[in-house]
Amino acid sequence: MGRGEPVDYSRQIQPLLAKRCYSCHGPDTQEGGLRLDDAAAATRELDSGTRAIVPGDDAVSEILARITSDDPDVRMPPEGPRLTAIQIDALRHWITEGAEFREHWAFRPVVRPEPPASTATNPIDAFVRDTLARRGLPAPSQADRRTLLRRATYGVTGLPPTEQEIRDFLADDSPQAWERVVDRLLASPHYGEKWARHWLDLVRYADTNSFERDGDKPHAWRYRDYVIRSLNDDKPYDRFVIEQLAGDELPSPSPDDLIATGYYRLGLWDDEPADRVQARYDWLDDLVSTTGQTFLGLTINCARCHDHKIDPIPQQDYYSLLAFFHNVTPMGERQMNSAFIERPLPTVTESPAELEHRLEQLTRLRTEAHEEIKAIEKRIKDHGDQALDELTRKDLAAWKKRRKELDAEHGRIDKALVVSEYGPQAPDTFVFARGNPRAGAAADRRVEPVFPAVFKTAAPEIVPTADGRSSGRRTALARWIVSPTNPLTARVMANRIWQHHFGRGIVKSASNFGLMGDPPTHPELLDWLASELVAGGWRLKPLHKTILMSEAYRASSAGTATALAKDPLNDALWRFDMRRLSAEELRDSIHVASGGFNPKMYGPGIYPEIPKAVMAGQSRPGSGWGSSSPEEQARRSIYIHVKRSLITPILADFDMADTDTSCPVRFTTTQPTQALGMMNGDFVQRQARLFAERVRREVGGPDGADTAAEVRRALEIALTRTVSDEEIAHGVSLVEKLEGQDGVGPSRALDLYCVMVLNLNEFAYLD
Amino acid sequence: MEPDHDHRAGAFCRRTRREFFWEAGASFTGLALSGLLEQGFFARQTRAADGLAAYVNPLAAKPPHFAPKAKSVIFLFMYGGPSHVDTFDYKPALYPLDGKTIEVKTKGRGGEKSQGRVVGPKWKFKQYGQCGKWVSDLFPNIATHVDDIAFLHSMTADSPIHGSAMLQMNSGKIQSGAPCLGSWVNYGLGSVNENLPGFVVMLDPTGGPISGAKNWASGYMPATYQGTLLRSKGPPILDLAPPDDMPLEAQRAMLDALRESNTAHLLPRGDNSELAARIASYELAWKMQEHAPEAVDLARETEETQKLYGLDNPRTADFGRRCLLARRLVERGVRFIQLYSGGAHNDDNWDAHGDLEKNHTFHAGNTDQPVAALLTDLKRSGLLESTLVIWGGEFGRQPTAEYDEGTGRDHNSFGFTMWMAGGGIKGGVSVGETDELGAAAISPVHDGKTGFHVRSLHATVLNQLGLDPNRLSYFFGGLDQKLVGVEHVEPIREIIA
Repeated sequence: MGRGEPVDYSRQIQPLLAKRCYSCHGPDTQEGGLRLDDAAAATRELDSGTRAIVPGDDAVSEILARITSDDPDVRMPPEGPRLTAIQIDALRHWITEGAEFREHWAFRPVVRPEPPASTATNPIDAFVRDTLARRGLPAPSQADRRTLLRRATYGVTGLPPTEQEIRDFLADDSPQAWERVVDRLLASPHYGEKWARHWLDLVRYADTNSFERDGDKPHAWRYRDYVIRSLNDDKPYDRFVIEQLAGDELPSPSPDDLIATGYYRLGLWDDEPADRVQARYDWLDDLVSTTGQTFLGLTINCARCHDHKIDPIPQQDYYSLLAFFHNVTPMGERQMNSAFIERPLPTVTESPAELEHRLEQLTRLRTEAHEEIKAIEKRIKDHGDQALDELTRKDLAAWKKRRKELDAEHGRIDKALVVSEYGPQAPDTFVFARGNPRAGAAADRRVEPVFPAVFKTAAPEIVPTADGRSSGRRTALARWIVSPTNPLTARVMANRIWQHHFGRGIVKSASNFGLMGDPPTHPELLDWLASELVAGGWRLKPLHKTILMSEAYRASSAGTATALAKDPLNDALWRFDMRRLSAEELRDSIHVASGGFNPKMYGPGIYPEIPKAVMAGQSRPGSGWGSSSPEEQARRSIYIHVKRSLITPILADFDMADTDTSCPVRFTTTQPTQALGMMNGDFVQRQARLFAERVRREVGGPDGADTAAEVRRALEIALTRTVSDEEIAHGVSLVEKLEGQDGVGPSRALDLYCVMVLNLNEFAYLD
Repeated sequence: MEPDHDHRAGAFCRRTRREFFWEAGASFTGLALSGLLEQGFFARQTRAADGLAAYVNPLAAKPPHFAPKAKSVIFLFMYGGPSHVDTFDYKPALYPLDGKTIEVKTKGRGGEKSQGRVVGPKWKFKQYGQCGKWVSDLFPNIATHVDDIAFLHSMTADSPIHGSAMLQMNSGKIQSGAPCLGSWVNYGLGSVNENLPGFVVMLDPTGGPISGAKNWASGYMPATYQGTLLRSKGPPILDLAPPDDMPLEAQRAMLDALRESNTAHLLPRGDNSELAARIASYELAWKMQEHAPEAVDLARETEETQKLYGLDNPRTADFGRRCLLARRLVERGVRFIQLYSGGAHNDDNWDAHGDLEKNHTFHAGNTDQPVAALLTDLKRSGLLESTLVIWGGEFGRQPTAEYDEGTGRDHNSFGFTMWMAGGGIKGGVSVGETDELGAAAISPVHDGKTGFHVRSLHATVLNQLGLDPNRLSYFFGGLDQKLVGVEHVEPIREIIA
């Protein structure tokens, strides 16, 4: 520890006390009257007459005497290894410096910092240059225009730049050239498709329930489309949060307000649980967990069974948060209950009231038809064939026709997957000992829907909705999350935006801003970005633009020996980190290269062809998987139907987020099975054939024999850059070698060359 | 076929070897590409969930916590839930009650009941071996191995429903999203054979189990640890075989060209170890393509061995082939192999709701000889000492009938039997008891609860592999996650040699 820097209580002291002392001197137990998690309690006089901590005076602070003592009756902690010299040193200095119990940075209010004085025009660069200078690192060199365009086009839209876009940018020598590119990219509808996927990872989006049947969630895709649309419209983030958490509680909710609440319905659901009560609370836990991590960057879920071991979240806070969701209806029991999870969407021509009325009527008529049919069928069964006279037969046929028509009309009404509550009155919530829902409801363990104590926020005022459908609790929660005084929301979201441009957040543990999370590499920059986000009315596009315009974003990815030696992990941002394409980007890019890419947006999920060998893993091979035309399959990966137990192989291979829990950062694994799929697999083989056809078509020539031109064209398409003569010669020699082999031949040789091109590191990695 | 990397890199890039590495950057200096493959360098190249830090060694061999008794696990999964009272848990009191309605608490697919009509065991039991173990006539061959087997008669699980019980037996949790036992083993120990996956699953020809891939998923761990499906016929692994119109020579030429281009791309980016790892991964894939088919080539086995496993009999050939494959994979260092007996739904697996006799006669008849052969074969080759064999389903079955008529039994997670053999497990012992009907576990008290919970079984497996089940953890969602959960779990010491 450098003596120049003061000791950081939240990072160096509190975790140590929590780990080694709290079990006897913490929130639950105070042996000898000592409690070390609270400033007043830790510094007051104890039963023994001594004081554990005397701020500013290490000589009389009993804690130091105890942790350094060799007397086994006196020394602390009594069990386990002694504290290390470094730990003792940190405690001593912290006490000498005044023993301030200074709160963890993430729980302190965001105060907009002034950017350091700098010649940089972009405040981001003022912060970054300041850090670089303090670490003795030079300002980064800038990437060339082609690299930059490829980086930003993938970064904003998840797709490669077109050749026209490259030509335009290279030809534009005005000072506004880059800004024009940034504005164009942020206006592209593909922006929403790319960034929605990041959000879907967080809310563990899937179209099915997992478990035994892994059945389809009705209309889940509308939620996916809603996220895409919201991002493209640059909907303010606070509004986006409110809609998802409590859109149904807004006065006269719009279709999007309702669709957004599908958020609550995206997780796992067991239709046949062994223990219904346990399953209910596991389901609620998933909401607490996902909501805490996604919106607040807090792992509140750790406090389900006991007080959080590290973060200042007692068990009571967990249940107080759970109380906000306690009145939410389940998906159903055994069957999904459409009264709970579906709502019709009002249209321009039909008001919500009219729609409700029509739907009620329809439901009544359908029930009537259904019962009539049942009755007739029973008559037939009871009386045998004699009952099946002409009249009965006609009757049955008529009712069946009627039911079919009614079903069809019902099907034509657009519906959304939504949240709902049992009514205005929520049930009582209790703290369950050890998280066990069978622990029973003890009056002294009852909690109210209030916010975690660490935020020191007053209990919310909760007003049930006027329509009597809902308790209003979720609105209170949502309003608190997006209130300007919430220290986490803006920091967490600004960090996510940064993360997906730079490959990692300023706080790397993007959904854990607690004490166990990573400290920010640029704390002031993070607070500045968070302030900007709020000051800009919570709109994301201006923040994207500021980031994209910075020299930090435009930095070259090249390494230098000195910088690598000083900062090998690039924490100071002396360069831009290379990254591999995400699973979806890779698949989409292959479709773009093959020429078949279909930009059609929105709508129900698509079903790419899945090899039989993979389907064989299902208990009913093929079950729950539809078929889509080749054109439909060539749409963007975000439109693939997400079946939890059957993930499209290329996406699974390249580290798509696990669908069952909130995923803030994806893995990037490198495995030989990826290489097998990319060389031998049906998908790449098929696409490479189309790619080769496209190359032949575009190069033209009556017999398409100009191998050099074909090689050039294939590389240009895949790599979006000019190609050197050396590379062409290298490619031609491969094609010629392949042509000469048994069972290959000229046409197939180009196919195989295209397979090779799709496997290039340069195709899969961005500078 | 072994490519000369340095020569090719030099030739293509028109630089000397020294220039190449100088340009390729500081952290890369001194590591030849060919070295990457041999030193397991590739295996370390995975990024951790923080997006940046080097995530050390996902699949290269790792030291265990303490000296292991077992190196590999073969889990013979009797999917659907075999009836313990008809197989290994001898209940003489049950025979005379056949057809009588008695008071007994059960919980199964059909919900909770407090009485039912007893279905007497449908097979006779005989004593076998030095230990005198009672085994039913369903398993005359396995019965000859009882002196090598430890029976766990009071297993319990949290769910009597297939989907969640399957997930629990495979991952410890009744919900999906957690890594499976095989993932934990590979995370803890790595793999000693780079040419084969470390966690292999072989399915029944009728199909996968309920919830499919969730039963071999790596959940919140990286995909590196997920199970790989291995087929006993045709290309063993998905995409292992190149298509017919891409002959091997052509593929080799493509791989050489790919490596040359990728090496040129690497030059100015030499400090990026992911790029080097990806280059290496193609060579590893090539090696897998070459070696994996050999590993599954049963024609290399003697006729005697093939007959031993019942490959000459249509009833036993399929499961026999998978058992024999399991032995070959163990020989090649694969850590965790799971074989399913039974697949899909209903009577395609051990889920005997209708006609118990027909169902169990069929599935036992398909597997008895192959399982016995596996034990014989492992023992005679000395592999049994370091190979832990597990037999069992996701739960057992009730002593009473499910319906008014017939012999079908509903699910039972209150008490059922599993067994283990080899890998430092005592032979000829039986621990734990169910009541005289076989309805529920009554002893011993283990970890404060009656019977052996699934997590005690998991703890025992990890323990035999040299891993402390209470220490093997993975940080996720703010918590140090463990296969066995947060509370301390004791391995089943009674069966450990």
